[in-house]
Amino acid sequence: MVAGDIVLTGLMAVLLVGVAALLTRVENWRSYTPLAGGGAVTGDETTVINREKPAGIIRWLTTVDHKDIGLLYGLYAIIALAVGGIMAMLIRIQLVTPAGAILGNNAYNSILTSHGITMLFLFGTPIIAAFANYFIPLLIGADDMAFPRINAIAFWLLPPAALLIWAGFFLAPVTDNMIEPARTAWTMYTPLSVEQANPGVDLMLLGLHLSGVAATMGAINFIATIFTERNEEVNWANLDIFSWTILTQSALILFAFPLLGSAIVMLLLDRNLATTFFAVEGGGPLLWQHLFWFFGHPEVYILVLPPMGLVSLILPKFSGRKLFGFKFVVYSTLAIGVLSFGVWAHHMFSTGMDPRLRASFMAVSLAIAIPSAVKTFNWITTMWNGRLRLTTPMLFCIGFVSNFIIGGVTGVFLASIPVDLILHDTYYVVGHFHYIVMGAIGFAAFAGIYYWFPVFTGRMYQRTLGKAHFWFSMVGTNITFFAMLALGYLGMPRRYATYQFDGAIAPLTQVSTFHQAATVGAVILFIGQLFFVWNIVQSWLEGPKVEDGDPWNLERDGMLDREFQWFDEQLEADSPEKDPSLLADGGQEEQDDS
Amino acid sequence: MIEEPGLSDQYPTASPWPLFVALGLALSEIGVFVGLFPVAVFGLILFGGSIAGILTESGYVERPWPTLLGVGVVLIVIAAGFTLWQVPVADIALSNVGTGPLFTRLVAVAAAGAVMIAMGGVASVMEQTAA
Ligand code: HEM
Ligand SMILES: [Cu+2]
Repeated sequence: MVAGDIVLTGLMAVLLVGVAALLTRVENWRSYTPLAGGGAVTGDETTVINREKPAGIIRWLTTVDHKDIGLLYGLYAIIALAVGGIMAMLIRIQLVTPAGAILGNNAYNSILTSHGITMLFLFGTPIIAAFANYFIPLLIGADDMAFPRINAIAFWLLPPAALLIWAGFFLAPVTDNMIEPARTAWTMYTPLSVEQANPGVDLMLLGLHLSGVAATMGAINFIATIFTERNEEVNWANLDIFSWTILTQSALILFAFPLLGSAIVMLLLDRNLATTFFAVEGGGPLLWQHLFWFFGHPEVYILVLPPMGLVSLILPKFSGRKLFGFKFVVYSTLAIGVLSFGVWAHHMFSTGMDPRLRASFMAVSLAIAIPSAVKTFNWITTMWNGRLRLTTPMLFCIGFVSNFIIGGVTGVFLASIPVDLILHDTYYVVGHFHYIVMGAIGFAAFAGIYYWFPVFTGRMYQRTLGKAHFWFSMVGTNITFFAMLALGYLGMPRRYATYQFDGAIAPLTQVSTFHQAATVGAVILFIGQLFFVWNIVQSWLEGPKVEDGDPWNLERDGMLDREFQWFDEQLEADSPEKDPSLLADGGQEEQDDS
Repeated sequence: MIEEPGLSDQYPTASPWPLFVALGLALSEIGVFVGLFPVAVFGLILFGGSIAGILTESGYVERPWPTLLGVGVVLIVIAAGFTLWQVPVADIALSNVGTGPLFTRLVAVAAAGAVMIAMGGVASVMEQTAA
């Protein structure tokens, strides 16, 4: 123990000295003091600025530019998507046979837990932050975020968060399984999560906590930016729909994530310092469920509102019509934001809670379907009689609407108490939320990436590969998750590593057939994502340069938004002999007057 | 003393501090919650130092040292408060470091605070006398 402490002390000391040395190398902090030049951000004695950013890796480690940070978020989210996706494939392969094909029970539970947390916290929230960081300032005509440095801090909290959440996988082999991956499921229900002595659970909780801190800092930043940094032409009446959804989402984050953070700290204290927040003699195990879902349900809207905003922004562009009932789309966003805090106990219908309370939660849960449906009708009406152009982003938007309808309707079924008592903790629930998290949120993210690809890369993606990506994703998603809905009706419980229950719980033949169908769908989905990665990487490196500031031909319908106008200005300002890779930076402000 | 301009003087969209604020916070949390004494101390120092740095760089304060000193004081007050509230008086003894899980963690926080106060104090004095 003592030896370990000494080693750790040495390591930490080396780290700290290294940090200090690095800082003195790249930064002249004496120049901050009044002794050497004003203490402002740029001392006036500085040499002629000829570039906006330092070169190479230092640029990415030190950037506070919202566009760079957006790209960093995007890269981070795509890596998390790949990790979570591989975990999902392992789960699906395991379940091809009733006895389980490749994993032991412990490994299955670890991977299941990490898959959920990775996708929700390391892919979902960051991919939204990627779009918001890059495009909100452009859409509202701001120079940057209100607090650029806080923006960078929020991003840099995420890599340590990911390492902590996955820590058990790295540490189990080197610590002789003393530290293992958490097996709590993403909901971390007590008493299970208190009783698992494994320190990997603590590390995962700390990682989640950091990601929550990051999300909260980001939310404060977006609220401040949208309120204070709009240019004079942008007012509340003509604020674009994506900014509205980010504003609402940020408000939800502001109320929900600090609560998750506190609940996690309470859980950590219960685990390490013998407090009794969730013990039977203290707050009781149900307290965790209430706290978790008071965060957890708003979280699902935190994840879905901005994608709805993306679709509301992109879908009209390829329908040749303005968004139908814009005002009502905004109102329904706000309504969902408010209502989402009043439905959390629909995750707890089967816990034996007071039936009168239960009924009121059912009522609000059914009510929240109304604003969701308003949006759906508005998207459909926007397309109605429109001049549809089935580009890749448009295909993903249409796929979003279609999948969201199935996900939403199954949600309404689950919100009804008698139905939920039968379907709770079955694959039906898994099918429901995957229609939304994969079929809707994932699809909207792809739509956004393709739609803005010219802006952030200066190049065009390959259309055929894009369409292949869409169709594989659409077909794969629907096979996989429809099979899960059927599995739920058959009574297959969720979170099982094997299913050799011989008809006692569910009819085995049908269950294995649908599991196999789900796996086939997952393979199709996976292949689709290979097209995606290939397309993005190759097109970014050598795709045809975009020469026109209006690559989607939006001018003719008068729908060229501010971000494309900005892009056009960048193209104009960028003289041809310039290094084309600088284009994405937009760091050309000083050339404007030339 | 005016040599090379630093990174954030040269480039308006670059700052070396955010990365280290985040790293400092992450290490502090791990150190304090998992109960790794050295990680907690160094993490908190890194965190406090980066806060002092970033506030100075962005012009909210003129010099980093008083901020560092202030963060140190805040940490000591927090640690002392928790100790008085949660640790029985008889157990507050240096020989108990390493045994009581809560007490050890609080000592780590206080130690980090003390180091920051010392660093901030000494640097302030040196700066005054050098000027
Ligand atoms: C139309 C509105 C919706 C309604 C009425 C609804 C209703 C429900 C209900 C009642 C459950 C609990 C089922 C159970 O465990 O027995 C549930 C689970 C879930 N829903 Fe929804 N839902 C809706 C929309 C959404 C959206 C938009 C998302 C995601 C962005 C989502 C994500 C989830 C998740 C992740 C779970 C499972 C949580 C878990 O137990 O792990 N739902 N939904
Ligand atoms: Cu819910």
